[in-house]
Amino acid sequence: PPGTQESPAETNQSPGETNHSPPEPHESLAETHESEPKLCGFLLKQGGPLKAWKLRWFTYEDKKNQLFYYRTPQDVMPLGRIELCSATFTYPLKAEKGTFHIKTPERTFVLKAVTQELMLYWLQQLQVKRWQHRQMTTCPDSPSNNNSSSTAGENTTAESHHFLPLLKSPLGLVERKTQAEGIMVTLCRVQELVWILHKALEASQLEKRTCAEFLAETGEQERLELLRHRERQAADLRGQLEEVKAEAEVLRKGLAQREAQLSELQDDIRMLTEKNKAKQEVRTAGGQVASRILWFLTASHPQDDIEAYKTQNKFLNSEIYQLTGLWRTSSEQEKSLMMKCAFLEASNCQVESQYLSVLRQLQETKSLDPDQREAVQKMVEDALKRELKSVVKLRMARDHDEYGFKIIPDYEVEDMKLLAKIQALEIRSHNLLHQESIECPLLDRWAQYLAGRSDDDLCASPELKGLLRVGVPQEYRQRVWSWMVRARTRTIREHHPQCYQQLCEKSRTSAHPASRQIELDLHRTLTTNQHFCSPSSPALQQLRRILLAFSWRNPAIGYCQGLNRLAAIALLILQSEEDAFWCLVAVVEAIMPQDYYTKSLVASQADQRVLKDFLAEKLPRLAAHFDSHSIDVSLVTFNWFLVVFVESLPSDILLPLWDAFLYEGTKVIFRYALALFKYKEDDILKIHDSVEIYQYLRFFTKTISDGRRLIAIAFGDMNPFPRRLLRNRRALHLDRLQGELRELEEQQKEFVTERAERKDKELDTVASEDDEEL
Amino acid sequence: KMAIRELKVCLLGDTGVGKSSIVCRFVQDHFDHNISPTIGASFLTKTMPCGNELHKFLIWDTAGQERFHSLAPMYYRGSAAAVIVYDITKLDSFHTLKKWVKELKEHGPEDIVVAIAGNKNDLGDIREVPMKEAKEFAESIAAIFIETSARNAVNVEELFQKISKQIPPLENPEGDSNESFKLTRQPAPSTRRCC
Ligand SMILES: Nc1nc2c(ncn2[C@@H]2O[C@H](COP(=O)(O)OP(=O)(O)O)[C@@H](O)[C@H]2O)c(=O)[nH]1
Ligand SMILES: [Mg+2]
Repeated sequence: PPGTQESPAETNQSPGETNHSPPEPHESLAETHESEPKLCGFLLKQGGPLKAWKLRWFTYEDKKNQLFYYRTPQDVMPLGRIELCSATFTYPLKAEKGTFHIKTPERTFVLKAVTQELMLYWLQQLQVKRWQHRQMTTCPDSPSNNNSSSTAGENTTAESHHFLPLLKSPLGLVERKTQAEGIMVTLCRVQELVWILHKALEASQLEKRTCAEFLAETGEQERLELLRHRERQAADLRGQLEEVKAEAEVLRKGLAQREAQLSELQDDIRMLTEKNKAKQEVRTAGGQVASRILWFLTASHPQDDIEAYKTQNKFLNSEIYQLTGLWRTSSEQEKSLMMKCAFLEASNCQVESQYLSVLRQLQETKSLDPDQREAVQKMVEDALKRELKSVVKLRMARDHDEYGFKIIPDYEVEDMKLLAKIQALEIRSHNLLHQESIECPLLDRWAQYLAGRSDDDLCASPELKGLLRVGVPQEYRQRVWSWMVRARTRTIREHHPQCYQQLCEKSRTSAHPASRQIELDLHRTLTTNQHFCSPSSPALQQLRRILLAFSWRNPAIGYCQGLNRLAAIALLILQSEEDAFWCLVAVVEAIMPQDYYTKSLVASQADQRVLKDFLAEKLPRLAAHFDSHSIDVSLVTFNWFLVVFVESLPSDILLPLWDAFLYEGTKVIFRYALALFKYKEDDILKIHDSVEIYQYLRFFTKTISDGRRLIAIAFGDMNPFPRRLLRNRRALHLDRLQGELRELEEQQKEFVTERAERKDKELDTVASEDDEEL
Repeated sequence: KMAIRELKVCLLGDTGVGKSSIVCRFVQDHFDHNISPTIGASFLTKTMPCGNELHKFLIWDTAGQERFHSLAPMYYRGSAAAVIVYDITKLDSFHTLKKWVKELKEHGPEDIVVAIAGNKNDLGDIREVPMKEAKEFAESIAAIFIETSARNAVNVEELFQKISKQIPPLENPEGDSNESFKLTRQPAPSTRRCC
């Protein structure tokens, strides 16, 4: 048939339908009060164990985005429904014409429309409905969003047109099946009528015969009378007969017409099955694509198949396009929800931390009566029992950062659990709120700075200094650190390029006296970090080699507790054993003052006195507070300096500190130490018990939530910080300390001689013990 | 109402003998094989009842490596008690202990309570320091002596109870019983500053 040569995509109507207008009576059924026609009609649905086709009436329900199916259009109770919101649509070319699939997460519905065009119409309408429904539910409340997404939706439908033009007014198609059924019904009715007329005719003929018999028997007058009467009757009947005949003729004509239509339809069907058969032949003809293409070229209707594939292809493209659109809106929605959630969680954390602060203050209020006090205590206990993690888990709930450090540190404070929890909540809320807004601009600045620079080009400049003070983004940290380390160790490395390897070799062949202490500390290094927590982790082997190599390299220091932490940080960031070794060398030998880690740690102790001087100058109120409670801050701050805050500060503050430290040196440690006190000055001033102050000082560094503010204090509020002043003070205190040290050494010498004397006695006692046991 | 007394206690001894482990066991009743080595010092508190008083121990745990010894005066200054720990499987650590006793005698607070703890007594089969010798030494200096195992929670609590008992009770119990009495002392002017 010539109709099939036309591409279905280019025509809105079936070829056989072109000269018929859509049947009027069905229009009312297919149209609702709204301007848009209601999507409904008959479809065959495959079902049951036999996979039989059953005729069902399908209607689309807007509100729930569902397709209901019924036995007949008049039924009230649907047989079932298909959820469209997460359904995908497709149609196979292999199957009978008009077959299409609706796949929901639960099952696949196999449906069949009478023609391919009708099927495409259904599929397109379902796509449109699915999209519209999504737009409706995505942003029903915010009008601005609604606008943007609806334009996006229009775009999508517009783009879909690009794939496959939307079929319009195919109602005739939808109704074609019903029409055929209608024809059959009228045909039956016509035959019935013909039969009734036939009977009527027979009856009148019988009457006529009896009349004639009667006429022969009676008188002239009566006979005439009767005859006239009968004649009249006969004429009537004849008229009736004529009428009936005409009517029958009309019906017969109608019947013929219908029959012609029917045969046309049957032709159509035959044609379709033929085509189908042909296509099945294509499938079976050969498994190879090449042979199939050959067949296409020689087959009787290759154009048909190509067109069919094109149409299917276009449809599938539109399906993919729309699904992508749906996915995109979903992920955008998810992202905005995540942000909302982060914001809510943050404010939740804030509220909880405020609540806990109130509880803390209540706990300290003296005027409470015992009942109230008990109630407060109970509330505190409940609050502490609540896990921090009970808050809705978000962002795949990262516990560790890129370097394997815990994002929220553990607080092993006994008496200050409440405060520790308040701090943890504050850190969390701060992280949730500020992470992105800070990271992005910083990343841009660094990207700009590093763009087009090779690593050797990096040269000291005020610009670099400024950038380092705010911290290097994680992406560039390794590169920048390795540059800074190289700059600080260049001469040694150029003189001995194989230095590290030789030192490693040396530590393999001979044992350094420090190796015992190194072994002791190795497994106790950064135990909360993911990369160091397992005894079998390769990082530990690397750390051992670095520390042993260093102990051979620097005999004056050998190994000092704390160097393990410095090397571990270097290893984590630089990701290279040798670079980490050189980083340790750079820190200990180039950055730190001499004798920071040697025998009696004099330079470290001197720095503690320098810090006290600075504290008295920059934070006089706090220094006086410490004095009045006889707090010796160096008990706490000594660690900070010796290991450059490793394990005292959370990693997101520690690493920016190191960024600046590797570039500017020890001044950075002083700046940060003072900034930490400044940051929490008000809190410390509120504590009036020396034990509590110590307890607070022990963990407060891990409670800093706003790293940016700390940086601003360190490099802003603490200015001016002249290098010369630091140098002079160091020299002064070192001198004093060394004097004290000499005195101590003399005493120690005394002790050694005394002990030597005592040792004889010890030998005596051991000997006598043995005697006793014998 | 029980009076709270704050007692400053410092732990001294060679590196790796288990000072931090003892503190951890006492305060948190927890043992960690890979406890982070102490650098400088760390500080923990624990409150324990003793008679009709509450003793709040402020425990300063110090670093063991020899070069950190020069920091020790900061910690034992003002201490009510000092726990000197040695490892029963390391004879060296027992010698270090003697050094500490001497240093405390010379530079420590006058009436400081000294306790000697022979730790790791769960490792009896590789013992290097006989209990008898250690005990006699302790008696000779009138110190508390106990063998402990932080790992198996043996005698850790007892160690601190013994210390508690040695602390002289408050002379004036009806004084200001509401305020906590502090036994920590200001550094005597005669004691040498750090080093
Ligand atoms: N077997 C055993 N090992 C212990 C005991 N106490 C501590 N250790 C281990 O000895 C090592 C050093 O402990 P640590 O407390 O850090 O010693 P510190 O340097 O004196 O503080 C760690 O590996 C501990 O696991 C104990 O009672 N028994
Ligand atoms: Mg320790």
